[in-house]
Amino acid sequence: MIPATLERTETDWPAGSVSLLDMAEQSERHDRFEEQALPFLDQLYGAAVRMTKNPQDAQDLVQETFTKAYASFGSYRDGTNLKAWLYRIMTNSYINSYRKRQREPYLGAIDELEDWQLGDAQSTTASGSRSAEAEAIDRMPESVVKNALNAISEDFRMAVYLADVEGFSYQEIADIMKTPVGTVMSRLHRGRRLLRDLLSEYAAEQGHSVVPTAAAPGQKQGKGVSR
Amino acid sequence: MTDCGCDKAKESLEEYLHNELCKDDASDIREHIENCPECSGEHRVGLVLREAVQRACQEAAPEDLRDQVLARIRTIQAEHA
Repeated sequence: MIPATLERTETDWPAGSVSLLDMAEQSERHDRFEEQALPFLDQLYGAAVRMTKNPQDAQDLVQETFTKAYASFGSYRDGTNLKAWLYRIMTNSYINSYRKRQREPYLGAIDELEDWQLGDAQSTTASGSRSAEAEAIDRMPESVVKNALNAISEDFRMAVYLADVEGFSYQEIADIMKTPVGTVMSRLHRGRRLLRDLLSEYAAEQGHSVVPTAAAPGQKQGKGVSR
Repeated sequence: MTDCGCDKAKESLEEYLHNELCKDDASDIREHIENCPECSGEHRVGLVLREAVQRACQEAAPEDLRDQVLARIRTIQAEHA
């Protein structure tokens, strides 16, 4: 609970105090922060869960993000993109204090993969099976999609998250991740390609329950197709 | 507006999906998709993939996280007051 005096600085503090104006400003800034920044809490938490892959770390990261944002709220220019500003702070915090602790994803070092290793929709998927693929992805359980997201490397996952969930533009993502727009495009496209392949593989495995996809004849998508 | 053909369309589908194309390029792609079942199917896969990711990523922060954050920033404010 907040002490009542904090809310009544104008009347309770001795008149003539040099800091009276500062106090009023600070109090106004505090209110503005609660009113404008705090509503992004759920969204930031969602992103933090994707980053850290762990609810407890996600809570700590959000806590740290808001603390830092609050401390530097004076440098935030009103009217600019507050959401992107908060994401930038959270991404920095994550890189500085959490990334070191994370285990490598099993699809690590993906930036070094060549395009042909990532698959190619045009050559592997016939147009007829594409509607089946869309349908399968549409029906995919959330847990499978989450696992697939957790399986791709962090840079890919965050590019996909920021674009597809948060709706940030390529330029905004470049600012948040501090990378050139070209890198954002490449991470986003490859990340989405990997996700699609993982989900389609899953769907194929489900469709053929016990039979591994690699051996299934006529299977248009999945890891059995040579690329 | 002209039909841009499959190669151009496939190359631009991701940017089209993410609203990163200028108006003219986007309408070229849109027109092509309307007339090409293959590119239209490819575009649809891209759309449902985005929707699947959105569904999977809906998280609500734990109730007490908001309280903790509020408590923390109010403490900071009190310290600086």
